[in-house]
Amino acid sequence: MLFRCKNCGGNTVFSPSVGKMYCPHCDGIDSEEKEDKGTQTECVNCGAPLTIGEYNSTCQCEYCGSYIILNERVDGKYRPDLVLPFKIDKKSVVDMLRAEFKKRIFTPESFLSEATLKDMKGIYVPFWMYDYAARYEYEGKGTKVRVWTTGDTEYTETSYYRIERDMNVDFDKIPVDASIAMQNDVMDLMEPYDYQQLEGFAEKYMSGFFGEIYNEDSDTLEDRARTKANKDMEDLLQGTISGYTTVVPENKNVTMNKKGVHYTLLPVWHYLYKYKDKDYDFYVNGQTGKIIGSTPVSKAKVLSYGATVFVFAWMALSFIIGILEVI
Amino acid sequence: MKQYFLYFKWLFAITALLGLIYAGTLTLHSAARAGERENTECLTSERVFDYGNVLSDKEENKLRELIAKREKQTGCDIVIVTLNESLKEYARDREPDVSYEEFVRVYAEEFYDENKFGYDKPIGDGVLLVDNWFREDNGKIYTWLCTVGKADEKYGSALVDHLLDNVYRYVEKNPYKAYKTYVNEVYHDMTGTGEITAFLPYWLPFVLSVVIALIFIAVHWSYKKGKKTTLATTYVSGGEPGMNRKEDTLINKVVTKRHIERSSESGGGIGSGGSSGGGGHHGGGGHSR
Repeated sequence: MLFRCKNCGGNTVFSPSVGKMYCPHCDGIDSEEKEDKGTQTECVNCGAPLTIGEYNSTCQCEYCGSYIILNERVDGKYRPDLVLPFKIDKKSVVDMLRAEFKKRIFTPESFLSEATLKDMKGIYVPFWMYDYAARYEYEGKGTKVRVWTTGDTEYTETSYYRIERDMNVDFDKIPVDASIAMQNDVMDLMEPYDYQQLEGFAEKYMSGFFGEIYNEDSDTLEDRARTKANKDMEDLLQGTISGYTTVVPENKNVTMNKKGVHYTLLPVWHYLYKYKDKDYDFYVNGQTGKIIGSTPVSKAKVLSYGATVFVFAWMALSFIIGILEVI
Repeated sequence: MKQYFLYFKWLFAITALLGLIYAGTLTLHSAARAGERENTECLTSERVFDYGNVLSDKEENKLRELIAKREKQTGCDIVIVTLNESLKEYARDREPDVSYEEFVRVYAEEFYDENKFGYDKPIGDGVLLVDNWFREDNGKIYTWLCTVGKADEKYGSALVDHLLDNVYRYVEKNPYKAYKTYVNEVYHDMTGTGEITAFLPYWLPFVLSVVIALIFIAVHWSYKKGKKTTLATTYVSGGEPGMNRKEDTLINKVVTKRHIERSSESGGGIGSGGSSGGGGHHGGGGHSR
């Protein structure tokens, strides 16, 4: 499938900055027409053979550059329930990355000037999103200790409490990426996405971008969602217990009922920089602009900045103590 | 380099400002010093009498330098005497009923008067610390702080206790440090300075700045990948869990008592009222260990 411009016949793509379909050839807005012909192995536009990766749901023709959406990979069991269209375009991402590199002060100064951009693409990453109705019943014992002194006697008062909690938590769309190529920790750091902007799936959002189908099914990946939910529940519970010196849990009972699963595509920009013969991957949340990826660290900068902080902190503290000394 | 200076401009500015304030306070403070010493009858210019031989020559000299400085700032003679001999006979010869705690007092007062110490006049403003390292036949070591003139007015029994507590904190392990503390405490007490910093250890700025630098590096190092920005409530509909039950019930309460052992016996009560002898009025107090 391909989106063709009604005005000029060019390949229209989804523009994140405008939020509409855009023709880069004639600047037409929303001038697209869905074109569905040919086989899944040939370019709809020029008929050239397509190189299709195992999990790709879109590809770009190597010959004419058209963005082709593979029908059977956005259909049937592979049809996503939801999509979060890209909100940030290519140009803004470059600026955001530069700003981020500057902010990471241990990045070598030459990285900004010498690193070359080898590849950039917008990818719709497949996610499974799980809804749970969870309940956490908790019982524990807590102590509060108070110490005071009267004359030569020190009193220690220990109060023992029974702590009981019972809470319901409705989890809405805990995301787990279903792409093997994407590292789990990177995708986790990419969160959160603003779900207000989720939309029902439409193929046009994929034009101009790359996409994958889910690599593994929702049952296989559910453990990760449950782990996230359990951790959040524990944090939420601990947040309700405060003021104790010690807390010993005695009974914990978590039940979690899966209420729904949504197959969702989330937008991620992938930028690949080359610097001193090494590749540096950066992933940018296509909605919020959050940047994840390791920048090189300059040892000289770590040493000089660390030493500067040390020397000046030492001086400042000595001055402060010197001032306090004589007042 | 440009990035470096831009990044640290506030740190540089604040440090420079603190340095200026520090220099300013120092100048102000050194201008405000006591008048010249007016006692011409004092028999000695020595202030450190290490008869007990607990200090090295180098330490004695350092103490002499410090005392010379502090005397000008406080307007008090500051004297240290260490001993290692029984004072029982000596004291009982002079005051037959005197108790063990006060042997050192008798010695201190006589030593002060004999040498005619005093900043403003003979047997005038000054302090004298006698630390007798000899264990008297009751097994104890006694120390006395003798205060005269304006030092006597300043030093109530609580302040004497405080000073001697601080001396005793170090005296067994490092007598030099203990006596240095004595001289500096006298300075702070007489000039009303250093109350805030009195208990800060000298290595604090160094250690603290090492910690600050390490935290700085750790924090910025952790930025190199990216930060986690989700919360426990991120995926909770409504933003918070529904609490069906939240009860904290007191089951019982237990109170235990413990008697506090005081680390050093308080001798502040003894002699702090002062005694008259040889024409001067002496105050002070003692400790034992």
